[in-house]
Amino acid sequence: MLDTHMIQTRGFRNRAGGGFEVRLRLPYYRGLWASLVDGAAVTVDGERFAAEDIGWAIGSSSWSLEGMRADASARWPLEEPAVLTVPRSEPLSVGFHDVAVELRLRMSYIPEELQPTVWWEERKLVISQ
Amino acid sequence: MTTPDLRLGVSLYSYTSEFAVTMTLDDCVEDVAEMGARGLEILGEAHVENYPSPSSTWLDAWFARNDRLGLTPTCLGSWVDTRRFPGRAMTVDEAVEQLETDLRLASQLGFRYLRPKLGVVTSDLEPDPVWLPATERVLELASELDVVVCPEIHWPSTIKSKVVDDYIALIERTGTRHFGLLIDTGVFHKSMHHRTGGVASRLGDGNARPPLTPVVPVSDLEDVMPYVVHVQAKFYEIDDDLVDHHIPWDEFLEVLVRHGWSGWLSSEYEGDYGVGRASDQLRRQHALIRLALQRLAPQEEVTP
Repeated sequence: MLDTHMIQTRGFRNRAGGGFEVRLRLPYYRGLWASLVDGAAVTVDGERFAAEDIGWAIGSSSWSLEGMRADASARWPLEEPAVLTVPRSEPLSVGFHDVAVELRLRMSYIPEELQPTVWWEERKLVISQ
Repeated sequence: MTTPDLRLGVSLYSYTSEFAVTMTLDDCVEDVAEMGARGLEILGEAHVENYPSPSSTWLDAWFARNDRLGLTPTCLGSWVDTRRFPGRAMTVDEAVEQLETDLRLASQLGFRYLRPKLGVVTSDLEPDPVWLPATERVLELASELDVVVCPEIHWPSTIKSKVVDDYIALIERTGTRHFGLLIDTGVFHKSMHHRTGGVASRLGDGNARPPLTPVVPVSDLEDVMPYVVHVQAKFYEIDDDLVDHHIPWDEFLEVLVRHGWSGWLSSEYEGDYGVGRASDQLRRQHALIRLALQRLAPQEEVTP
């Protein structure tokens, strides 16, 4: 089962090859074609990482944001957290970090001027190792 | 006058804040059966694992669970995501493909109704023009599969509107029995409920606001009743005195009973998020509806 939060407690960690990961639950009522994701900007301790620089992995697939948006058959199911891979030259230090995510999704049934739908959340998360 | 046969069901949309967080699909469906509902509505993209191609294991479990619990599949929720392809509109062929995929899935899972949520192109929610040619092209398949396509009339759309007139014109022109209206009872809300809890969100980056819509009087239903095939019994909060301050249930049910309407009232809880709230609120609503129907049609046995 997943956390109620969009930003999941599990999966916030440094990557062996550099950078770090943060996991998101889709905070919506249905799974989506992944091409409807306009991206997610991540901020850690005030350091902002632009949506277009962040990689995405859902299930066994992984893409750049641009690649995911071009993949017409990719889906983001409700039960499957997306793993965001964020480039950073230094690993995050062990201990608490203030993590904020702004996720942007396009809803076809809402007038354009009210789009995208933007979800945001801030959490204090732990890098444990 | 036909004897009304109003059956109570639940849409798993009601468990939005709990599905995959505090409840599995099994938990949600068991809860629906336990409260005495007999109809089960799901959202294809939310609740069908590996949508749109569930595994045989998932399908076996779907049928076995419904048999064991005595649940009838009612309506499958579907989306025609016309903005799915960045930088361009959806073509008619692509809209047809989406509708055919969902019609076949609905039929495979035993649903009689398919609710496509259509993309819009204007501030006042005019559907993307692909809806008409795409719908016309799938009516034959809908007929073969005996699945009724029913777009929803949902706030902030209103009943007296061009879109509803266009839907009815399609039915009249083609004579189809496989297209109808789905009424979402949220259109009749007397006061707005501002949902609390959940992840913070906003619509857009500018100052645009959703259109202000007038309160839709329940009497607007009278003219469209012959076209109504399914009801999503949307509600937000039923208080500790079993009173709903938002949706006028007595008035609404009176129209259904007087017209001898038969079909499913499929509950959609859309109130505050919180663990256990959906289960409790759905039971309150079913009690409220059953008591209202006993007053309105005391000779009728509401099933069950």
